[in-house]
Amino acid sequence: MNILSSARQSKTLTPALLLSTLILGFIISLYGQSEFSLQANDLWQIMIAPDSQDIKQQVILSLRLPRSLVACLIGFNLGVAGLLMQGLTRNPLASPTLFAINSGAACLMALNSIGFAFFSALPSELATFSGALLGGLLVFSLGGGLRSDSNALRLILAGIAVNGLLSSLTRAALIIADDTAYSILHWLSGSFSEIDWHSWSQLWPLSLVALLLAFSTSRGLNLNALGEQTANSLGINITWLRVRVCLAVLLLTSISVTLAGPIVFVGLIAPHLARALFNNNHLVLLPASGLLGAALVCWADLLSRSIIPPAETPVGIITALIGTPFFIFLVLKGKL
Amino acid sequence: MTRYTQLLLSGFLLLFLLAGVSLTMGAESLPIKTVLQTLMHGGDQDFIVNYYRLPRILISILVGMGLAISGVLTQGIIRNPLASPDLMGISGGAGLAACTVLLIWPNIGNVWLPPIALLGGFSAALVIWLLNRWHDPSPARLALVGIAISAFLSSCINFLLILHPVEINSAMIWLTGSLWGRNWDYVWPMLPWLTVLVPFSFYLAWSLDLFALGEDTADALGVNTKGLQIAALLSAVALASVSVAVCGTIGFVGLLAPHLARLLVGSRHKLVLPVAALVGALLVLSADTLARNLAPPLELPAGVLTAIIGAPYFLFLLHRYKGY
Repeated sequence: MNILSSARQSKTLTPALLLSTLILGFIISLYGQSEFSLQANDLWQIMIAPDSQDIKQQVILSLRLPRSLVACLIGFNLGVAGLLMQGLTRNPLASPTLFAINSGAACLMALNSIGFAFFSALPSELATFSGALLGGLLVFSLGGGLRSDSNALRLILAGIAVNGLLSSLTRAALIIADDTAYSILHWLSGSFSEIDWHSWSQLWPLSLVALLLAFSTSRGLNLNALGEQTANSLGINITWLRVRVCLAVLLLTSISVTLAGPIVFVGLIAPHLARALFNNNHLVLLPASGLLGAALVCWADLLSRSIIPPAETPVGIITALIGTPFFIFLVLKGKL
Repeated sequence: MTRYTQLLLSGFLLLFLLAGVSLTMGAESLPIKTVLQTLMHGGDQDFIVNYYRLPRILISILVGMGLAISGVLTQGIIRNPLASPDLMGISGGAGLAACTVLLIWPNIGNVWLPPIALLGGFSAALVIWLLNRWHDPSPARLALVGIAISAFLSSCINFLLILHPVEINSAMIWLTGSLWGRNWDYVWPMLPWLTVLVPFSFYLAWSLDLFALGEDTADALGVNTKGLQIAALLSAVALASVSVAVCGTIGFVGLLAPHLARLLVGSRHKLVLPVAALVGALLVLSADTLARNLAPPLELPAGVLTAIIGAPYFLFLLHRYKGY
């Protein structure tokens, strides 16, 4: 904790370190770990001598660059979404994964893609959005989150049960639709293997809107941290704040699930790290948590490609393997 | 005839009927007459009935019994209504061990699966026990830690299966629990373990009733509480692991069956244990029968169906549970 506290004191060092971790991960993920041997030098060549005939440059520009960009932005989105949920519920374990928002989105996305009933008529973004909403609503209503005497632990346990239910439904639907598709397992664990520029153009406009919405709530979240009544008496319209935060969380999570499947635990880890590194001001925490999420997903993606090249491990498995011990640590440390 | 014996008898009857129905249903549905004839004398449908459906039904019953008894013992010892082998990560440990060994040595004999799973189950139980000692978490928090540990273990299994791709149905056995492709070769390795463990658990049941009065009272009444705790936990872990070794983690049975049994016959372990075993067998058998018949010839994993029943029940328990 010594390093952490001294890092907290320095106003410039921590953000600089964080940014450089992210940028380093981004650059390495552009050329590193590929079946097609690329060098750092190839990146340099793109800058000084762009050549549309050069296959290496084309691989980087048309495959690697969108993938890395999408990974970073999705990480950013998930980090911000986790922080928003923790800020609103004042529950340190709140996150898209544990409140079944991820798995709800994944469930309806699966129903949508196998063409189940009327779900197939919806555009995929809308399907994941309504899935995320459904998951979140189920958890809150069943976990007693709408009552004032709701218990944080009970909410989490309800989230886990809803998670189990929704992911079972997803599995059942996918197996009935196509029992030979092993790729089901990949998509269900979250993976970036099918990302291209089209995904990026799908991702960034919605993310931008949702992130702006998220940042607009940061002052309200700061006051909300003092307790609902205090925030109310300080002139914050709690209901309106809740609506905006929920909308932002749903947008951020559902667009990420649409493109890469449920990438778990990023929204839990990033906000806690951000709080350990910075102060409790949401104006600072939101970008910090986002950057941490981006760095986490970027490095996890790199790791997922380097474990058994040329095959890819779904990135969500890596984040789950990092995230669950972290989760156990949080529970035992009594952060609840 | 007391109400209890009536209940037990009707449970057996139901199980028997369900097994009969399950024998006739499937991708190829057979009339009962053919099934009976085949059971007695073999014939054209010999393979489907005697070598495919019958062992699966037997395994469902055995596994359901094992998981349910394991759940009763765990809940009795920890005195935590949210405890069960699959929520505590014990099934996860057993599944990971069995799955790892099968992926490394695909030709290892089935006889070795239960002991290997046992090793995995015990290691997971040891981790939980150590965490419990260091931190002494509240029951609900312990459930949370157990769930996190099982999530970790199942992502390890997921990871392994992606490193070594296998056929989707065999992957599902380890991911959600399924009886796909289980035949007589899997019945025999289970039997010796269960013939020892099930009677032993029944023997433990009467002391568990005293234990429910509180550790001190049980001590004063002459129960060796430490010994009882250890014996019951060991047999709970062993029962769960042996079941998992054969068909993976069929979730929520170990949680659901004891609760349903308590609803039916009250809280005395001596009475609860047999009823819970019956309920567990019924649960797994009906889940597997449904799994085979919802979209034939495709199969769903039985574990998916038990989760669809079990998760809402878990939510209901949370709704009633007050001791956070």
